[in-house]
Amino acid sequence: MTDPILSLTDATLTLSGNAGPVEILHGITLAVAKGESLALVGPSGSGKSSLLMLMGGLERATGGQIHAMGHDLTTMNEDALARFRRNNMGVVFQSFHLIPTMTALENVATPLELAGHADAFDRAEEELRTVGLGDRIDHYPAQMSGGEQQRVALARAAAPRPAILLADEPTGNLDGANGQAIMELLFGLQQRHGATLVMVTHAPDLAQQCDRVVRLMDGRIAEEPARKAAE
Amino acid sequence: MSPAFAIARRELRGGLRGFRVFLACLALGVAAIAAVGTVRVSIEDGLAREGATMLGGDAEMRFTYRYADEAERAWMEDNALAVSEIADFRSMATVQRGDQIERGLTQVKGVDDAYPLTGQVVLEPEMPLADALAGDGGLPGGVMDRVLVDRLGLEIGDTFRLGVQDFHLSAILAREPDAAGDSFSLGPRTLVRTADLANSELLGAGTLFETKYRLLLPEGTDLTAMEDSAQALFRDTGMRWRDSRNAAPGVARFVDRLGSFLVLVGLAGMAVGGVGVSAAVRSYLDGKIAVIAILKTLGAEGRTIFAAYLIQIGVLAGIGIILGLILGAALPLIFAPLLAAQLPLPTAFAIQPGPLAEAALYGALTALLFTLWPLARTEEVRAAALFRDAMGQSRALPRPIFFVITAALLAALVGSAMYFSGAPTLALWASIGVLGALILLVLVAMGARRLARRMARMRVMRGRTSLRLALGAVGGPGNEASSVVLSLGLGLAVLAAVGQIDWNLRNSISTELPDIAPSYFVVDIQPDQMEGYMARLEGDPGVEKVDSAPMLRGVITRINGDPAIEVAGDHWVLRGDRGITYSATPTAETRVTAGEWWPADYTGDPVMSFAAEEAEELGLNLGDEVTVNILGRDITATITSFREVDFSTAGIGFVLSMNPAALQGAPHTFISTIYAEEEAEAAILRDLASSYPNITAVRVKDAIDRVTEVLGGIAAAITYGAAATLITGVVVLIGAAAAGERARVFEAAVLKTVGAARGKILAYFALRSAMLGAVAGLVAIVAGGLAGWAVMRFVMEADYVFEPVSAIMIVAGGALATLLAGLGFAWRPLATRPARVLRARE
Repeated sequence: MTDPILSLTDATLTLSGNAGPVEILHGITLAVAKGESLALVGPSGSGKSSLLMLMGGLERATGGQIHAMGHDLTTMNEDALARFRRNNMGVVFQSFHLIPTMTALENVATPLELAGHADAFDRAEEELRTVGLGDRIDHYPAQMSGGEQQRVALARAAAPRPAILLADEPTGNLDGANGQAIMELLFGLQQRHGATLVMVTHAPDLAQQCDRVVRLMDGRIAEEPARKAAE
Repeated sequence: MSPAFAIARRELRGGLRGFRVFLACLALGVAAIAAVGTVRVSIEDGLAREGATMLGGDAEMRFTYRYADEAERAWMEDNALAVSEIADFRSMATVQRGDQIERGLTQVKGVDDAYPLTGQVVLEPEMPLADALAGDGGLPGGVMDRVLVDRLGLEIGDTFRLGVQDFHLSAILAREPDAAGDSFSLGPRTLVRTADLANSELLGAGTLFETKYRLLLPEGTDLTAMEDSAQALFRDTGMRWRDSRNAAPGVARFVDRLGSFLVLVGLAGMAVGGVGVSAAVRSYLDGKIAVIAILKTLGAEGRTIFAAYLIQIGVLAGIGIILGLILGAALPLIFAPLLAAQLPLPTAFAIQPGPLAEAALYGALTALLFTLWPLARTEEVRAAALFRDAMGQSRALPRPIFFVITAALLAALVGSAMYFSGAPTLALWASIGVLGALILLVLVAMGARRLARRMARMRVMRGRTSLRLALGAVGGPGNEASSVVLSLGLGLAVLAAVGQIDWNLRNSISTELPDIAPSYFVVDIQPDQMEGYMARLEGDPGVEKVDSAPMLRGVITRINGDPAIEVAGDHWVLRGDRGITYSATPTAETRVTAGEWWPADYTGDPVMSFAAEEAEELGLNLGDEVTVNILGRDITATITSFREVDFSTAGIGFVLSMNPAALQGAPHTFISTIYAEEEAEAAILRDLASSYPNITAVRVKDAIDRVTEVLGGIAAAITYGAAATLITGVVVLIGAAAAGERARVFEAAVLKTVGAARGKILAYFALRSAMLGAVAGLVAIVAGGLAGWAVMRFVMEADYVFEPVSAIMIVAGGALATLLAGLGFAWRPLATRPARVLRARE
């Protein structure tokens, strides 16, 4: 394996709940290669989404180390993490998480603007055309269907051409046809831009489309099948 | 129990969470109105209870220019247990120090041994009034208000002069029991014995003085019968009656008016609270969409659900109103000692059921008015809302029946305000003003949203992320813009209106008036002094102009033979005695608007020229006969002309002017105005006062200062009322900011995910808040300016000038208030980790 673009070493996550501390992830060690697509699978509550959040710096590990593109995410503050994400990562959520007070175009342009791209809106419009929403750019999220909202979220994540794409059950809230369309778009974007994709999913067929599948069970890596490339 | 009650009861078990703003808004609005009403009624009760003390007796008979004649005096002696005679007039108190003479305007009260019949005069040092007035070293004694003592640089034991009579200053007059019953005066009080004024040359023929006869009546006297008897006998002789039932009508009227006005300001506050109440109910019901959808799935009809939530809101409104009543009743009681010390009036602070009921009524009507439409939306929720955003397709407006109910509630609210305020026209206009301001604010909020949306899409905004995000948020979906602009805008609009009116009034009185007003107003110039008086002034290069006119005072008693008050009502021209002049020819400034002035040599039956505006208000026509009682003698004159009289320049202006032959024979004095350069003023006063000790010169600038001081007090009271409105606005604002916190937390989490640093997010939140505040402030200035213009133009009949300083402060204040409220709720969004927030919404 070449130098991993993402690596976790003995990463743990403990959250405090009403009934005391809850250990979510136990000593996760994992490396993701550049350009690889990785599926995180496992039953509900196994910690897959939490692991994805740690990779994105959206959640702070309570132990171990997380490196992304040579940067130690565990030593960075909130703002540094935000800046790192805008330059290197795109995140897609199950519930889309578009800002309701912004149009589709504005939602997609925002990360580009934050990254200082002068042509943020032109690129955002282009990206929306790529996902088939060229005629919906001025619509607010509430005026769009779930599938359309997820396409906007996908465009938003892909627009800055991130090296890493993180997707948390991107088809979880969509019907079969819409889910299939989104996955085609997601894999298409990943391959077109040579990005690394880490995706949480419950769907075995989706997982099988990835280069590698990692199964989690009770906050631990249960099994890690061999890479497709090695097969 | 009906299903609606059962649903309501179960829902209410959830407690009052989410209703803090609802309760605060309603409680504050009710409390403000209840407190103002309680203070007003407490003062009115105090005035009624202390009526006899304030009047200085159980009843008072008042005459102008003269003492009571034998018949009148005999009637008093027959009916009263004791009678006290008081002479009241304006004069100059002087103190000689070497060549220097200090002068001060004073309101002199000459009393007899019986004074005061009720209450106690308090002197410093403590001593009986009789001892103080007895004098010392062969001089009669006198006591003075501390203000005048300080102004003249006097010490106890010094000598001062009234007219040509010296007095020994025995003590400081600390409390005069009948002060509140006396009318507004420009000079502080000096109290001496009337008998000691005999050689002062101050009470000569035609001098402006008033006599008041205070009567102590046997217990149980029927005051109505007594008044009727006195009026029947002496009304036509110019006698005016007052008794302990209405001892200080001027004060009572003032308290009543100010109280009414403050209640109207309170109603504006209630409207602001209504916006908060409406937003709170809307937000609560938005959170209940799933519950309502489930209930519909289970078979609940729209009307059952509407009733269930109406009951819940009714219970909560009841709690809010009760909290407001407790607060509104308690505050005046808690601050009673402080208020009593501040007010120069007797007070009887207690729980006043009347004002509390009035406040509760306003509270209930406002709560219903502002919650009806949000409640009507419950009918629009469909069971499908469980599966998708079914509210998104609901009708924007409720069913027509809700329009009818809204109109009825609005009519009931405005009608109640018109009825209870006692000033229906003012209440109606104030209601129209508040409604107009609300409509303006709604329209502006809509316009601002549209503009913000357009601006957010402008190319120039690209790259200015925080600003574009803020504009996008202001222009985006949701009610935040309307809620903030409405709640803060209305409070700021009331404040802006008060600011504009106050500044304009002060400006016209203290800045513009001195430029056109005379330097001195001189009264009590005897006819034989006029030649010397004019000679002194005409030779002075510092004097620009001198106007003078003969003046008598009289009471208009009859119009066309019928009692004047019965014909024309309670008009200020009929309320007391009025100055009357005579002139053979119209003066240069006179502009006759109707009829004709009498020929210069006219000697026929008395004729008069009446001030046109006042004549119209009284319903007078050319040819009407007006009877005026002057010095106990009735003079009936026919109106032959109307003329314009401008009272706003502080120059000489008479409502009534008659032909010389009608009045020349009566003893009278002259009134004069002197327009002089400021440097010449001191010398003029010195020479005139030395030559004519009987005359009184009122420095107009001092009088203006005194009036401005009174206006300042009124403005302060109204500003407090407006502040209560603003506090309610700020509560609504905080409520809106709190309600928006969840949305902000989510936005911050998404923005962090796509790479926004906290500084950028904070700048976005700050800009968004400040923009909304600034819009509210700008609307407030427009609405406040319009109200200010309308009041100055139509009520005060004066020019209006836009005052920019308070306006800028209001915009800045609006922006700052929303900024602080917004930033106060920005910490959690900024501090929360994105993963927690975003996953919680999965």
